[in-house]
Amino acid sequence: MKLYLALILLLPLLGGTLNALVGRKLPRRLCEALACAAVWGAFVCAALAFAAYEAPETVLLATWLADFDFTAPIALYLDPLSLVMTVMITFVCGLIHLYAVGYMAGEGSPARFFALLNLFVFAMLVLILAENLPLLYLGWEGVGFCSYALIGFWYSDPKNATAGRKAFITTRIGDTAFGIGIVWCFQLFQTESISQINQMGFLMPVGVVTALGLLFLAGAMGKSAQVPLMVWLPDAMAGPTPVSALIHAATMVTAGVYLMARMSPLFSAAPVVMAAVAITGAVTAFYGATCALVQRDFKRVLAYSTISQIGYMMLGVGAGAVTAATFHLLVHAFFKALLFLGAGCVIAALHHEQDLFRMGGLRRKMPVTFWAFMAGAACLAGLPPTGGFFSKDAILAAVWAKGGALYGGLFGLGLMAALLTSFYTFRMVYLVFGGEGATEVHRNPRIMDLMLLPLAILGLIGGFIHLPAFLADGWLGRFLATTLTEGAAHLSHGEEMAVEAIAALVALTGLAIAHYRYGGIRRAARIEAAAAEPRGITAFLLNGWYADHLYRALFIRPYEAIASFLWRRVDEGVIDVSLDRLADGIGTAGQGLGRWSCGRVSVYLLSFAAGLALVLGWLAWGRI
Amino acid sequence: MIVPFEHVLILAGLLFALGLVCVLVWRMNLIMLLIGIEVMLNAAMLAFVGGAARWGMADGQVFSLIIMALTSAEVSLALAMVVYLHRRKKTVDADEFRELQG
Repeated sequence: MKLYLALILLLPLLGGTLNALVGRKLPRRLCEALACAAVWGAFVCAALAFAAYEAPETVLLATWLADFDFTAPIALYLDPLSLVMTVMITFVCGLIHLYAVGYMAGEGSPARFFALLNLFVFAMLVLILAENLPLLYLGWEGVGFCSYALIGFWYSDPKNATAGRKAFITTRIGDTAFGIGIVWCFQLFQTESISQINQMGFLMPVGVVTALGLLFLAGAMGKSAQVPLMVWLPDAMAGPTPVSALIHAATMVTAGVYLMARMSPLFSAAPVVMAAVAITGAVTAFYGATCALVQRDFKRVLAYSTISQIGYMMLGVGAGAVTAATFHLLVHAFFKALLFLGAGCVIAALHHEQDLFRMGGLRRKMPVTFWAFMAGAACLAGLPPTGGFFSKDAILAAVWAKGGALYGGLFGLGLMAALLTSFYTFRMVYLVFGGEGATEVHRNPRIMDLMLLPLAILGLIGGFIHLPAFLADGWLGRFLATTLTEGAAHLSHGEEMAVEAIAALVALTGLAIAHYRYGGIRRAARIEAAAAEPRGITAFLLNGWYADHLYRALFIRPYEAIASFLWRRVDEGVIDVSLDRLADGIGTAGQGLGRWSCGRVSVYLLSFAAGLALVLGWLAWGRI
Repeated sequence: MIVPFEHVLILAGLLFALGLVCVLVWRMNLIMLLIGIEVMLNAAMLAFVGGAARWGMADGQVFSLIIMALTSAEVSLALAMVVYLHRRKKTVDADEFRELQG
């Protein structure tokens, strides 16, 4: 097991390092082969570890930080949660790597790209497998750095570089809170081991756990693009599409959900934290869904939908249904990767056209992409019996089971968001694939279409790993039961069926509305209407509720004002000027004193006598 | 000691002041300048000798012997320089020699 775990981590690290160091000298094919082989090798190891798995295990690989009482070794913890995540990450990332070979075929600097991709995978795996919080933080920051470098991969365009920086800085705000939480954990528990902290939660007063939970939640908000730190994710679409898929599907944005799920035994004792997580999740789910309704950019629709879906996962964690949240996380990884890769195929085929309203008619021209994308869309919309349906409704059922006014309201918000999700998903499908439109379609490398198929199959049948209780015993639930404390209340079969039926009805309603507004000839009318300048509610949603403008006014403007004041007035006006004056004064004094050395012996003698008189006077005065 | 120590010091001070005035006032003349310096050195020697007698220690007298040796060397060198300088500028006015200006 130790060998498998070490290889899972070391292979992507080795691939990334080799590509970074000597990749520029290697032929392109070798770079690509190296990167893909590293990730698929890690997948093989993960599968072997999965087969050999018996009980939760801690594996010590090396010592790392150790000082007095503080120890944070490079120790990995393999339990069902990290195991399923590892298998999912290595598999999805492997597919995305292969896809990237096709997608990036015409782009420059492959060594940099593939080195960063491999490092990204390595950081994700560290984050997932870490046994203590500092190591988890290392992976956490690693994915932050890699996403920054990859979002700004085409850095020659300032817009892309800015998007990368925005992602970096926004997530850093949350990371600061998370870092404080980690340090505080050590002060409270005298250990950084996650499993030990989880067991010792009951020793602390509820207030302390609540404060700790809110700090961790802030970290999760930043990384998972939850309200109010969600502004970076739509802009992160500036990166190449495989990168977007990697960020959204594997463990970059879902890291926050994973963290909250990992620490849920600790936080389930604090109802305030759980409520805060649930509210954040539900509000974000609704926010993302509303913004996705009107976006014109293909990838921005998907970005907002990710924000919304991660909101669902947070809602699940907040309702205590960690299994349901993990279930949704896994299925979402498959279908969101599928949607992004499908979008990448469309975008590449249309010569990097990303405007939904300039697409169309691709149903017949790109049949493979169309059917794969349809599968992903059905999952995202939650049409029964796809994976997305079961996972989303497991969360909704858990929220409903929780009962009470708060969770009842959140359930309503979740249902609203589900309706919107279904609508915007099929709006996208109708706009891209329906009607007539693009005439000239560029042929993609075959490998890009091929990668869609396994993802489509997994997305469609993913629901069967955790069927609702009235159909069968959920495998994932049983598998995770050893490690996760399930805080969710249980519904009777009848109630659960009712919730599922409502959710299915909502999804179908969304599909029907989308068909009514965008189906057939009405599509052309919508495209004409969209040519006008967006106004009112459309503009509001298009700009993401003006969150960027709000932050600009609230934080960036005052910061700029203070910075400019400190620069112009304090730095240049006070410090620089005073130093200049001082230097001028000393220079003038030096020139004045220099005139003294005129070479006239009499002046020297007189000064000498005066100095003597002064010294004598001082001595005499001192005596008195 | 017959003469009080204060009187010796007052005399030495007066001599020193006279020497200093000589240096400062007759500044156009290098020779007067040297004489002034000699007078000041004599004043210092007088103070040393007086002090030696006052405390009954030979150090002051030894020091004044050193000063005598030093001044004789200095005067021989200085007079040679005065002759040399006079040859260069046909004057012994100290203010005419300002080549050492910074």
